[in-house]
Amino acid sequence: MRKALQITFEVIFFMEHSPVTTNPLIIMMINMTVVFIVLVSLMFLIKLIHMVDPTKKPEVPEPVEEEEPLVAVKSESAPAPAPEPVEQGVSPEIIAAISAAISAYGFSGQVRAVRILNHEGTPWRASAKFNNLQRK
Amino acid sequence: MEALNAFSVSLQAVWNDSGFSAFTVGNGIMILVGLILLYMAFVKEFEPLLLGPIAFGCILANFPNTGFFGEEMNVMKAINYGITYEIFPPLIFLGIGAMTDFSPLLARPSTLLLGAAAQIGVFVALGGAMLVGFNVHEAAAIGIIGGADGPTSIYLSTKLAPHLLGAIAVAAYSYMSLVPMIQPPIMKLMTTQAEREIVMKDLRQVTKFELIVFPIVATIFISLLLPPIAALLGCLMLGNLFRESGVTDRLSDTAQNALINIVTIFLGTGTGMTMNAESFLRTDTLLIIGLGLVAFMGGTAGGLIFGKIMCKMTGGAINPLIGSAGVSAVPMAARVSQLVGMKSKPGNYLLMHAMGPNVAGVIGTAVAAGTMLAMLK
Repeated sequence: MRKALQITFEVIFFMEHSPVTTNPLIIMMINMTVVFIVLVSLMFLIKLIHMVDPTKKPEVPEPVEEEEPLVAVKSESAPAPAPEPVEQGVSPEIIAAISAAISAYGFSGQVRAVRILNHEGTPWRASAKFNNLQRK
Repeated sequence: MEALNAFSVSLQAVWNDSGFSAFTVGNGIMILVGLILLYMAFVKEFEPLLLGPIAFGCILANFPNTGFFGEEMNVMKAINYGITYEIFPPLIFLGIGAMTDFSPLLARPSTLLLGAAAQIGVFVALGGAMLVGFNVHEAAAIGIIGGADGPTSIYLSTKLAPHLLGAIAVAAYSYMSLVPMIQPPIMKLMTTQAEREIVMKDLRQVTKFELIVFPIVATIFISLLLPPIAALLGCLMLGNLFRESGVTDRLSDTAQNALINIVTIFLGTGTGMTMNAESFLRTDTLLIIGLGLVAFMGGTAGGLIFGKIMCKMTGGAINPLIGSAGVSAVPMAARVSQLVGMKSKPGNYLLMHAMGPNVAGVIGTAVAAGTMLAMLK
């Protein structure tokens, strides 16, 4: 253990250059130690950058993400669904476009509900959803 | 009669200069390997952008009498210099940097630990390689396959075991494309249903200041600590700085499109050119491919174990599935975390959370490579 620590120190500060050891266990211990030291240091540097960031906004409690209430929609089977009267939030044109798009992909049946997902300001969330759509 | 003689001598000369006269069974097998790789790249779409040029380079490398590596300079020799002198991997990193969004990592810096933990696969494979008879330099180059980072694998094997470059590159890129098949069974085996269903809190918004300062600070810190990887890390962060600065859109665009595409062609073709029959048709190649799989599985398991530890320590705030993204393979490994999470609980979006350990894995692999270079070179 002491030897491993000594070698780790030598590797970090480049006191020795030739192969310092050929024992795989010691190589693993040293490397994992150095990788963790470097990445933990980076972690603290990131926190430091955040702390000194002059542009950051004061932290406020995160608003609970609210999703729009389910909007009940009834439409006739594809391909030409007649837009029914809908409640606030989704216009009949959008319902018609969604129904047409679904039927264009070969699905038949009835659109029973449309839920508006709120992902303002989180492009990664939108990307995750898009990623899933691509896989289906 | 004289004309007939001249005709015969010329014909003989053409035959002697042709590839057929020196064609060996080994060359035939390697051309077949190249064709199989082409099929995998273009029909099965396994990393086609890289495996395609690698496969074609492999076919080209096995034509005798081409003079590609003779005394005279030619385009193939010039491409080979780009690999021998480690020019292409940092340039690829420049493009990767321009395509990388560090904001998930900056928003939750603790995910750096997952990127570190997943490097265990590198050293498991290193130990395994030494057990089956590879020397320490070769074992280190083989082990880095577990980092799931193609340019770093090529960079390290060029420095430590150039004669294994072809096998290592093929193993690395093949397994990277097989991440969606290798990782999910391990992820399901090592996590419970309840753990897979954990919904993580949304990430905070990262400011432009953080996005610009991070690549600069990280370059200074890592390059001072591990100079052997200053070129790799420096290019990665420079590319990222082009992206985030907001005033170098043209440079960012070039780095993440034209430049990376051009260098990818050269890197792939040059790597394939190292796959000649003499250096590739050996039992070592099969061992390297087997050890590469061990490295990938070890890295995935390491990330998941640390993910479970972080899950316990945070009272269930971290979904352990994001740990497997600690092997680099950007963004494939993060997508796999997302996919497995979604299958366990529809609507559980893990992509943005998994991108943190995913990009941390790129840095972690480069650091592991730098440390091994410092120890072994």
